[in-house]
Amino acid sequence: MDLEWSDGQPIYRQLRDRVIAMILDGVLKEGDPLPSVRTVAAEYRVNPLTVLKGYQQLVDEELVEKRRGLGMFVKPGARSLLLQGERQRFLDQEWPRVYATIQRLGLKADELLRSSATGRRSGDAAPGAAESKAAPSNAGPSEPDEKER
Amino acid sequence: MKSLRFTLPVALISLCAVALAQSDAQKSFDQLKTIAGIWQGQVAVDQPEMGNGTLMEVSLRVTSRGNAIVHEMKALGTPDDPAHYDHPVTMLYLDGDRLLLTHYCDAGNRPRMAARTSSDGKTIEFDFLDVAGSTAPGHMQHAVFTIIDANHHMEDWTYMMPGDKPMHAHIDLKRVQ
Repeated sequence: MDLEWSDGQPIYRQLRDRVIAMILDGVLKEGDPLPSVRTVAAEYRVNPLTVLKGYQQLVDEELVEKRRGLGMFVKPGARSLLLQGERQRFLDQEWPRVYATIQRLGLKADELLRSSATGRRSGDAAPGAAESKAAPSNAGPSEPDEKER
Repeated sequence: MKSLRFTLPVALISLCAVALAQSDAQKSFDQLKTIAGIWQGQVAVDQPEMGNGTLMEVSLRVTSRGNAIVHEMKALGTPDDPAHYDHPVTMLYLDGDRLLLTHYCDAGNRPRMAARTSSDGKTIEFDFLDVAGSTAPGHMQHAVFTIIDANHHMEDWTYMMPGDKPMHAHIDLKRVQ
């Protein structure tokens, strides 16, 4: 199996990002084993040293751990740690831009909430595309990560 | 006349020292040329939990009328397409009295290293000199070639991860061509 790698950053960083996405999406759960370097190298046709670098980066970031004689495993608390980082990154880097746009357009909090609730209910519809439909009071989506906040 | 008597021996000693250093570098370079060919072998890492035993293929080729050696390494079975796959290239060459290597890393940077040779001439160790390009993704820091015989040599490569954490891989290689 071949994967397309972007030229923007080293393949080991892209591998690391892929594992992180799998943890965030719940494909890899805490305590799950990571595939061996040999498997990843063969499956994605990358240099084993590249896979080692990617795994080492995940170890350094305390997201995976080595278990003697067993292999590499997703560390307990890894998802929470990732979410914490991602939330902070959103608040620091993305939210100021989003907030500036909200201010510029004069949008109110209830409009935003109503729009996002409607958007989520209608699947892939862009937020705001179905503004005329009022959301029922109990239509708010569940917060899967509530306990981690 | 008196000063000439003093300076001449000093100059001769200096010239001999340079000649000896040159011959050491040249000797190591010639030694590396003897392992030109295609090699295959298993990778071992300091942390076996990460997985040992992956097969690598290394190619060493003398080029540029003998003035350089091209070293390439890749996972065994990967198509020979360095533009698409992560097949780093290393060039080894003489620079005056030094044997140098430049590693064209798939991470995008180009570290240079200078050789030291063991007394028996079988081990050629390269220490980091400098690096061109961004070091944000880390860089190759150290390399060792140990020549056992015409059909067996070992390579040790140490990559410095971001945060200066070394990652070492040992490859035990047997000649296939």
